[in-house]
Amino acid sequence: MERLADGDRASFHPVFAALWPVLRRLATRSLGPDEGEDAAQEALVKVFFRASEFDRSRNALAWALGIAAFEIRTARRRRQRRREVSPPEGIPEAAGDTAPTPEAEAMARDLEATLEEALGDLRPEDAETLRLYARGDRAPIAAATFRKRVERALARLRAVWRTTDGRP
Amino acid sequence: MDDPETGLKERARRSYEWGRLAGAARRSVLLLPVLGAASLCCPSPGAILAGGAGLFAVVTFCLWRGQEFRRGVRPGLVAGVVPLVLPVVVQAVGHLCGPGRCLLFPSVCGLAGLAGGIALGVLAPHPREARGIPFVTACLIAALAGSVGCVLYGLFGLGVMVLGLLLGAGPILAARRA
Repeated sequence: MERLADGDRASFHPVFAALWPVLRRLATRSLGPDEGEDAAQEALVKVFFRASEFDRSRNALAWALGIAAFEIRTARRRRQRRREVSPPEGIPEAAGDTAPTPEAEAMARDLEATLEEALGDLRPEDAETLRLYARGDRAPIAAATFRKRVERALARLRAVWRTTDGRP
Repeated sequence: MDDPETGLKERARRSYEWGRLAGAARRSVLLLPVLGAASLCCPSPGAILAGGAGLFAVVTFCLWRGQEFRRGVRPGLVAGVVPLVLPVVVQAVGHLCGPGRCLLFPSVCGLAGLAGGIALGVLAPHPREARGIPFVTACLIAALAGSVGCVLYGLFGLGVMVLGLLLGAGPILAARRA
C-alpha cells in the first residue's frame, strides 16, 4: 500500500489480490451475499481512490477495513431507509418483511462469533458497545454518547488489531 | 480471473488514477494565489497566465505520476519560490510597470535567480538518481516558477533569472558531484 501511495503502479495487482477477498468476506458476512458484494466493490473502489492519501504510519489493513466498515454502515442505513418507506398502493407488503429471516439470524450469529473472538482482548463494556453497533442497535443512552463510546471502542479494537496484525 | 473481477479491477484502477489526479490537483491549487498575485501585478498578464498554467500542469502531472517525478517537486518549488515571489513583491511595493510591458529593474530577477539556483543546487536530487528524472523535474519546476515571476520584466528579465539559476546551482552541483 505504501508503494501504491507513492505511485508505484506495479503494486496495484498485489494490493488488489490481497484486499478484495478480505473486503468481500467482511461485507458479505455483515450484509449478506448480494448487498455485501456491492458494498465490498464500493469499498474497494474507495480504497483505491484514496490510496494516494494513505499514511505510512498507519496499518494498511486496518485503514482499508475502516473504509469498508463505513461502506457497510452506509449500506445498512440504506437498507433501513428502504424498509421504512411504505410499499406503493396495490402492492401488499411481504409478510414478515421486517422480521429477521433465518438466514439473517444465522449471519448475525456468525458475526457475533467472529466479533467475540476478535474482541476477546477488549474490556467487556467496549465489546458490548461494538456488538450493539455491529447489529445496528444502540444502548439506551444519548446518540452522541453512544457514538463517542463506539469511537473509543473502535480505537481500542484497532490497537488490538494492530498488535495482532489482523489475526486476533 | 473471471470477467466480473476483471471489470472490478479495471474500475478500481480507474478510481486509483482519478484519486491520484484529484489529490495532485488539490495540492497544486495552493499555487493559484501566488500565480493570481503575479498576474495582477502586470498590465499584460497573458505571459504570466501561460507560465502559471504550465507550472500548474507540470506540478500536477508530477504529483499524479508519483515516485521519481514526485521527488523533484518540492526542491523545484522551494528553489523557484524566490524568483517567483521577489519580483512580484518588488513590483507590488512601488516599482510600477509601463503600459503593456515591464522592462525595468531586471537585476531583481538576477538576484532572485541566483538565490533560487543556490537552493536548487543544495536541495535538488542527484543528477544520476533514478535516470535523472527527479533532478530534471526539480530544474523544470524551478525554472517555470521563476519565469512566472520574472516575466514581469519581459524576456530580458527571464533570461537574467535563468542565468542566475545556472550561476547559483552550477558550482554547488559540481561540488556535490566531486
